[in-house]
Amino acid sequence: MSVPILKQGDVLIASIQSALTDRDLLQLKDELAEKVGRLRSRGVVIDVTALDVMDSFATRTIRSIAAATRLRGAETVVVGIQPEVAIALVELGLTLDGIATALDLEEGLDVLVEVMEARRRDR
Amino acid sequence: MADQATDAEAPFGPAGLFGPADLERRLRSGGVGPEDRAGIGEIKDEVLKHLDEHVAAFFEHLASFPEAQALLRRPDLMEEARRLERDHLVAMASGTYDRDYVEQRFRLGRLYNRAQLDVALFMGAFHAQMSSIGRRIMQRYAKDAVGGFARFSAFKKIAFVDLGIVVDAMMTEREGTIRRQQQAILELSTPALQVRERLLILPIIGLLDTFRAKQLTDGLLKAIRAHRAKVVVMDLTGVSTVDSKVANHLIQTVAAARLMGATVIVTGLSSDVAQSLVTLGVDLSRLNTIGDLQGGIEEAERILGPASPRIERRPAVG
Repeated sequence: MSVPILKQGDVLIASIQSALTDRDLLQLKDELAEKVGRLRSRGVVIDVTALDVMDSFATRTIRSIAAATRLRGAETVVVGIQPEVAIALVELGLTLDGIATALDLEEGLDVLVEVMEARRRDR
Repeated sequence: MADQATDAEAPFGPAGLFGPADLERRLRSGGVGPEDRAGIGEIKDEVLKHLDEHVAAFFEHLASFPEAQALLRRPDLMEEARRLERDHLVAMASGTYDRDYVEQRFRLGRLYNRAQLDVALFMGAFHAQMSSIGRRIMQRYAKDAVGGFARFSAFKKIAFVDLGIVVDAMMTEREGTIRRQQQAILELSTPALQVRERLLILPIIGLLDTFRAKQLTDGLLKAIRAHRAKVVVMDLTGVSTVDSKVANHLIQTVAAARLMGATVIVTGLSSDVAQSLVTLGVDLSRLNTIGDLQGGIEEAERILGPASPRIERRPAVG
């Protein structure tokens, strides 16, 4: 099942609706990298609220999405990690270092504004 | 009356703890042989003749100790204790040691626990009672000291087996109490308090062990979601010791909270805790630590600040 990617202003929102196969994840990565360039987006929000399991491949893909979109000029925020998922990730040592996280979509958009501003200032 | 007592003590479940084989084992361990049973049979009447005197010796010993007043001042407990002690001696002298016998012993242990009678004190009183019995037996066998001693020894063997059962009953009961209290402490879980929009305070008081730390992580993450918290101040002022396991758990909690988009500020690490963590070589550099709770809340306000209209209105400092 592919992930719908919505455009909201200069932000792309990828809302994951159900458990994803590795192939779906790779497709998401490709699509986001492509759309960030095409739509001149400044930020990406990945919403994982619906996921109750995240494995190492999923976290690695999210990290590479963040790295790739940053190279294309957009910041990534992961939102909606469930408490159980958070505990599991930490126990596995998959802490998504260097990637911004937020409670939910609304919060994520706020964080994204901050991150984008910080980045603009850095330049 | 005896039936009533059995009903009231039903949950104690001596049957579950004590099978017939177990009693056999105890008697064997105590070295109780057929000749001992025969010896007890011979002195049975002697013991029963002075029953009241022997029971009185038990409680006289207790009377001189302030710790025993909890029992002695309760007429209801005393009445039951006297009755059980009496039954106890009768059963000991009777020579039949079966399930009822063990259950009776359990009731006694339970009663003394309820009266908060110390095991050592119980031992002392029990010994006073044995002395009283021994005196009577030796008087009767004054001309045959060796024979008297042999019979008293036989009786004492049973007494020691008996003591083992009562003490085990007291211990089992006490362990049950400790378990219940531990449960109660766990249920007084760590509260997460909302101080203002998006700010939670998590005061941790008392001993942190791995189990409680796990519970804490769980509770905190759920609270973060429920209160939509952005900053959490975790206050460890009330924690006197932290070992490396728990410290690592705290680090994990902080990392998990970050995954949910919340920043955790740790405050109130006492100098002892801080030093022991440094000595243990726990890397706390990834924790945002601030001296006291006040400082932690100020830092939280600073993080949350720009979103607050109150601070936005403040004129910019040029």
